[in-house]
Amino acid sequence: MAEPQTTPTRPVRFRVHRRKAGDSGGRYDSFEVQLDEQRTVLDGLVAIRKEQDPSLTFRHSCFHASCGTCGMRVNGADVLACVTKVADLGPTVTVEPLANIPLVSDLVVDMGAFYGPFSRAGRPLLRESELVPGSQRAEGIDVLTRYEDCIECGICVSACPLTGSDPRYAGPAALCAAGRVIEEPRDADRLAALRFADGSHGVWRCHVAYECTGACPSNADPGAHIMRLRRAATADRFRRWFGVGRAAR
Amino acid sequence: MSVQPTPTDEPGGGAGAFLGQVISGAALLVLLTLHMIAQHFVLPEGLRDYASVIEWVANPIVVVLELSFLAFVTWHALLGLRAIVFDYGFSPSTERWITRTFVVIGVVTVVYGTWLMYAIVSAA
Amino acid sequence: MSGQRPAAPVATAGPVERRRGWTGWFDPRGRRLGGWAFALNRLTGLGLVAYLYLHLGVLFLLSQGPDGWDAFVDVALSPPILVMDVVLIFGMLLHGLNGIRVGLVGYGMVATRQGALFVGLMIIGAIVLLAATLRVFA
Ligand code: SF4
Ligand code: SF4
Ligand code: FES
Repeated sequence: MAEPQTTPTRPVRFRVHRRKAGDSGGRYDSFEVQLDEQRTVLDGLVAIRKEQDPSLTFRHSCFHASCGTCGMRVNGADVLACVTKVADLGPTVTVEPLANIPLVSDLVVDMGAFYGPFSRAGRPLLRESELVPGSQRAEGIDVLTRYEDCIECGICVSACPLTGSDPRYAGPAALCAAGRVIEEPRDADRLAALRFADGSHGVWRCHVAYECTGACPSNADPGAHIMRLRRAATADRFRRWFGVGRAAR
Repeated sequence: MSVQPTPTDEPGGGAGAFLGQVISGAALLVLLTLHMIAQHFVLPEGLRDYASVIEWVANPIVVVLELSFLAFVTWHALLGLRAIVFDYGFSPSTERWITRTFVVIGVVTVVYGTWLMYAIVSAA
Repeated sequence: MSGQRPAAPVATAGPVERRRGWTGWFDPRGRRLGGWAFALNRLTGLGLVAYLYLHLGVLFLLSQGPDGWDAFVDVALSPPILVMDVVLIFGMLLHGLNGIRVGLVGYGMVATRQGALFVGLMIIGAIVLLAATLRVFA
C-alpha cells in the first residue's frame, strides 16, 4: 500500500484566551502546534485540546462554514475558525471569544443572550423565494427551498462597534432577521418585526459602519437589511401620518 | 452577571433624531460652504479685519445667513454629541436628562451667538 | 507550552459581560472601509464641536473693538495656524461628505454600495482639499 502523501508542517504559536466561570479575569495561554499550510485555526484548537490541554473549551460542529458555531476573534478579526487558514495569518495566532456577547468559558460565549433579541424578530428559517440557480434536482423533487443565509454565528454582533458600547442595542443579527421578515414575511407578523426594529436602540442606533456586513461569513448583509428597515419604518410612519405611501403589511 | 440585551424602547424613537441630523446636515452643506467662501476664500488675506467685518455685517442677508448657520451648526453638533452619549445605552430616564442638558447648552449657545452678532452689528 | 490545568472545571458563576466599550469604536484591527468611515466621522465630529466652541469664543473679541480682533488676525495668518486650518478643512470635508453617505444609505438608498459611495465622495474630498490647501497658502 502506498504511503499517504504528507504535506510539510510548520510550528504555529497560538495565544488563546482563557477564562473559566468564577475566574476573576481572563488570561492568554500559549501553545505551539505543528500544522501544515492547509490547516485552519479550528484544526489548531482541536489539536491543542487533544494533545496539550483537554480543558480548553470552544464550540464547533460542521468544519465547513455551515453551522455557525465556531465564530471567534482571530488576530482581532471576527471569523469562522473552521475556514480561517493559519497560512493566511502571521507566526502568532491570537484567538479570543466573540466580543459583546457574555462569556461562558475560554472561547465559548452565551448564545442564549445572542438569541434573546434574535428570536423576537420572529423570522421563519426557510427561504421560499429562491431556487439555487443552476441546481440539479433529483427525480421527484420539483422545488428546492433554501434555509436563511444567516447561520446565527454571532460574528456581526462581535464586529459591530455599537453593540460593543450599547447593551440596549438590538444588534445587527436580530435586525437582519427582522429585515428578512419585512422582505419575505412567510406568514410571520411583518408589523411586529417592524415595531421591534424601529426604535432608538433598534435600527436608529446603527451608525452605518457596515462592519457587520463586512464580517458576515454568509453574505446575509445585515447592514443593508438595517437600512431597508429604516426606509420601511419611515414609509410606514409617512403612511400613518399623511395617509400616503406603502403600508407595512 | 448574565446580561440579556434589551432591545427597543418606545416605537419610532430615534427616527426623529436621525431625520433632524440629516436635515441640519443638508442645511450645513449649503450654509458652511457659503460661510467658508464668504468669510475666507474670496478674501485675498483669507480673514476679515475688524473694519471689513463691520462693513460685511451691515448687509442683513449676511446676518440672516450667519445666524441660521449658527442655529443649524449648534443643532447638528449637539444632536451628534447626544447620539455618541446615547451609544452607551443609558436608561430612558437618564436619556431624558441628557437630552434636557443638551437643549440647555444649545439654547445658551444660540443666545450667546445672537448677542454677539447684535453687539457687532450695533458697532457698525 | 503552558496552561495545563485540571479538566472539567466547576462552574461557579454565570456568563460574564465582555463588551468592547468605546475603545472598540476606534480599534483598527480587522476594520473595513465603513468602519473607518464611522470612526473618522466620530473623531472629526468631536473635533468640529470643539472647534465650534473655540471659534465662538474667539469671535467674542469682535465685540471688544478693533484692537483685539486685528491682533488676532495677525496671529491667525501665521503658518502654524494655517496648517491647523488645513486640518480643519480636512475634518469638515470628511465629515460633510461622509454625511452624504450616511444620509443616503441611512434611508435605505444605495444600501449595498456604501463602500463605493464612500470612495467616490472621498475622491471629491481629496480634490477639494488640495484646492483649498493651495488657496490657504497662496
Ligand atoms: S452597520 Fe450598524 S449594525 Fe452594522 S456594524 Fe455598523 S453600526 Fe453595527
Ligand atoms: S448576519 Fe451573518 S454574521 Fe450575523 S449572525 Fe447571521 S450569519 Fe452570522
Ligand atoms: S464549525 Fe460549523 S461553521 Fe465553523
